[in-house]
Amino acid sequence: MGFLSRLASLFGFKKNEANILVVGLDNSGKSTILNFLKQGDKNVPVDTVPTIGLNVEKMKAANIEITAFDMSGQGRYRPLWEQYYKECQGIIFVVDSSDKLRVVVARDELERMMKHPDLERRNVPVLFFANKMDKRDAVSSVKVSTLMGLNEVIHNKNWHIVASNAINGDGIDEGITWLADVMKSNMATKK
Amino acid sequence: MHMLRRDKKEEEEGGGNPFNNLDKTTVLQEARLFNETPINPRKCGMILTKLLYMINQGDQTIGSTEATEAFFAMTKLFQSKDPTLRRLMYMGIKDMSKIANDVIIVTSSLMKDMTGRDDQFRGPAIRALCSITDTTMLQSIERYMKQAIVDKCHAVASAALVSSLHLSKTSMDITKRWVNEAQEAVSSDNIMVQYHALGLLHHLRKHDKLAVTKLVSRFSKHSLKSPYAYCLLIRIASKLIEDEDTGTESQMYDFIESCLRHKSEIVIYEAAHAMINMKGVTAKELAPAVSVLQLFCSSPKPTLRFAAVRTLNRVAMKHPAAVTACNLDLENLITDSNRSIATLAITTLLKTGSESSVDRLMKQISSFMSEISDEFKIVVVQAIQSLCLKYPRKHGVMMNFLSSMLREEGGFEYKKAIVDSIITIIEDNSEAKEAGLAHLCEFIEDCEHTVLATRILHLLGREGPRTPTPSKYIRFIYNRVILENAAVRAAAVTAMAKFGAHCDELLDSCVVLLERCELDSDDEVRDRATFYVRVLKERQKALNSAYILNGLQVSVVGLERALHHYTLEPSDKPFDMKTVPLATQPITEQRTTPGKEPGDISTSKPSDKLASSRQDVYAEQLSAIPEFANLGPLFKSSSIPVELTESETEYVVRCIKHTYSRYMVFQFDCTNTLNDQVLEKVTVAMESSDGFDVMKYIPCASLPYDTPGTAYTLVRLPEDDPTNVTGTFSCTLKFIVKDCDPNTGEADDEGYDDEYVLEDVDVVVGDHVQKVMKPNFGASWDEVGPDNELEDTFALSTMKTLEDAVKNIIQYLGLQPCERSDKVPEGKSSHTLYLAGVFRGGHDALVRSKLAMTDSGVTMQLTVRSTDPNVSDVLVSAIG
Repeated sequence: MGFLSRLASLFGFKKNEANILVVGLDNSGKSTILNFLKQGDKNVPVDTVPTIGLNVEKMKAANIEITAFDMSGQGRYRPLWEQYYKECQGIIFVVDSSDKLRVVVARDELERMMKHPDLERRNVPVLFFANKMDKRDAVSSVKVSTLMGLNEVIHNKNWHIVASNAINGDGIDEGITWLADVMKSNMATKK
Repeated sequence: MHMLRRDKKEEEEGGGNPFNNLDKTTVLQEARLFNETPINPRKCGMILTKLLYMINQGDQTIGSTEATEAFFAMTKLFQSKDPTLRRLMYMGIKDMSKIANDVIIVTSSLMKDMTGRDDQFRGPAIRALCSITDTTMLQSIERYMKQAIVDKCHAVASAALVSSLHLSKTSMDITKRWVNEAQEAVSSDNIMVQYHALGLLHHLRKHDKLAVTKLVSRFSKHSLKSPYAYCLLIRIASKLIEDEDTGTESQMYDFIESCLRHKSEIVIYEAAHAMINMKGVTAKELAPAVSVLQLFCSSPKPTLRFAAVRTLNRVAMKHPAAVTACNLDLENLITDSNRSIATLAITTLLKTGSESSVDRLMKQISSFMSEISDEFKIVVVQAIQSLCLKYPRKHGVMMNFLSSMLREEGGFEYKKAIVDSIITIIEDNSEAKEAGLAHLCEFIEDCEHTVLATRILHLLGREGPRTPTPSKYIRFIYNRVILENAAVRAAAVTAMAKFGAHCDELLDSCVVLLERCELDSDDEVRDRATFYVRVLKERQKALNSAYILNGLQVSVVGLERALHHYTLEPSDKPFDMKTVPLATQPITEQRTTPGKEPGDISTSKPSDKLASSRQDVYAEQLSAIPEFANLGPLFKSSSIPVELTESETEYVVRCIKHTYSRYMVFQFDCTNTLNDQVLEKVTVAMESSDGFDVMKYIPCASLPYDTPGTAYTLVRLPEDDPTNVTGTFSCTLKFIVKDCDPNTGEADDEGYDDEYVLEDVDVVVGDHVQKVMKPNFGASWDEVGPDNELEDTFALSTMKTLEDAVKNIIQYLGLQPCERSDKVPEGKSSHTLYLAGVFRGGHDALVRSKLAMTDSGVTMQLTVRSTDPNVSDVLVSAIG
């Protein structure tokens, strides 16, 4: 914390900070999206290995300081997601649009998440990335939204779906900006 | 105001430990602060410290649910880049990895830190990662571990190497694949990395002896940089020498010797230490190591001096001659400002010193005796004791020295050590007896320790009457009656009675003094005095011997049990003392033998105590078996089990013989060493032609693999001829075999009979005799009288020395040597051995055996006295 910001926090100008939970099935591209966000324009592709447990990343996007908890999507680590529900102000749910077979699994996970006591009554914005748009057999974001049954599953929360490609970054900034805006307005109303 | 004062007080008492009164629930509550954003590193660090303190302190255990919650809260701290908090967090992960669930969650985060750019996080991250990883997860981090082992940063490489060492406990297969990386790390130019890499390399190849040999020979040639690695190499090499038993011949030895010329002190010391601890090393081979240590003795560093003198002290135990070369340096160390060094130097000198230098040394020691603590004084006392046993002729100087030490101030332990030493010297050296007793008498005149005073009075009662002028001790003893507390007075009364019983000329005076004690204020003292006066006034040698000079010889536990039994089943018959089991090993037997180190004595004591209660354990076990309940009291159990099988055969059987007044019980402890068999109905069939009848077999119902079981055989002793007590039994193990699955232990239903021939069991005279210590053999000899005396002369042609003869006679007869007659003085051609015991049925048995050396062997005149004529017969016929 620099001197100026410390001074600012002393006078009550709390900087905009938020915790975001990044979830989704394994191999849907969560870590790759965060990598892109972290590195911004100077995008150097790195080998991404399956995450075990979680990764914590800090970044600045759309004028907001974001701490992202990048959860592992592998089956046996999914039960651990709930440990982080309580403290998050936003959720990014990543779906692999080219993997039509497993969209149902993703829907199951989403339903379970929405029913969790730590999330059920809170107005947490959920951003969906219909990822891997570069793949030939990828379906459109509208189709993903219907397959996931987003209208039925989510009742009391703001949500938005964006088609994305984490390799070249298409759609990611758009999604994050939406999420940041909603979170900012949420914070403002709370105050 | 009141509160304030209390706070202040608490502060003073607490000694400034802020974590003294931590409460588990509060700390766990506080740990929720980790979830807040933004993170406050200072506060979170404090809470984490409290958490760590609690886990490591261990007096409030944290449950796994609570720990898991705290652990997950802690994972949120990964967003902070504060170095202190980070490092605390790594420690937290390590400590909580054993109690919390799902710790695997932090794997990716730690992997990121481990491969990250910040060097100061990488090492700790590796250590934390390895503590949360199990074998299945290890494969996914293997690539990173390999990289870390050969990392440029030393801290990272060391952390990876040490972690691999820990991991190999559970996942040896995977860590084995990292040998090449470890090889590369050995050539690192950092001393720590090199040391750790060598350690890992050795650990991975530990079970392959050839590979270890190669490892040592390779690294002993191309020189390592790290002195620590050298030390490790020396240790590996000396272990190899020990395992292969190659001694000084091997290349390894040459390597260790060459390390004596290394430039680092730590390596030199390690090499010298290794050489000294080698088995079967000769004094000549030690010389280079000793001369190196000699140089260390004059080093300005206290650690080096201490290490050197301590090692020399060890050498002096085995090879005192090798250390004599350093005597001059050691003498300089006596005045060392570090008292530990000085004391070790003195004890070493006392071990190596020649007879001529004793006087001078003693003078030197006394000059600083007042400056050292009690513990060290005890060490010095013990050293003097062993020296005194080594040079008996110098006892005068040492006795004087010990007595002057007794007069000085000191704690109980210290005084006890001195008294012990004096008593040992007295018992070992008859010339020193008078002087020693005089010193002890002087000591009890002003002794505040009841235990020591009673002990000395007991000794006076035993030894005093047999000195040339017993009368001079009476004054010291009677003074105790006037001046001391009840326990000491009672002991003094007993001691005085012994003088009266033994010395006729003192009898009247002792009776007068004892009559005065009958007016004592204490019950015990009065009782004792009255009892002794009545016994002494009878003026019968037999009574004196039975009730004063040789006290009760029964085991206390046995007596207690017998009396309890008697009160439970009242009968008209008076209580019979002979039914009480005898004390197997009288406590007076615990004395020191010359040449033994003080350490050996302390290890032998517990086993003696064990032996005295062992028979009670057997008695309890046997009486629990209904068939044996009416056999009467157990008279004796053989001390060492006899092996009836070769070791490492299919079945292992050991036999213990229990003797009752008319029966014998053979206890067979069997072990089945075949894991694919279950034995059932195991009995040991016994056959004998010597008039012994087998009455009953108690089988062992089932004998699974590797679980010991016990079968018994009851035999009636021949009754028609009481002198027929010895015999030989041929034994066969009979059982039903059932095959079983080695893994589950489930047996087939069908089995078949089988048998297994065991070695013969002999019943010897010793099985019928219980050892009893008669402190005053002469009195007992007169007490039994010559009624059943038998005498015979034997020529023991097979014995070459008197010591051999004494050892064998004791073994044949199974009697207790008395009056220290089992020790043959050196250079004498004749000796008299006194043996005492009790024969089965409670008959006293005493044996006097006069031995003489002749050209053709040892000639023995054996005289047996007993209260039963048959017993004398049996004992005489036992030798032959």
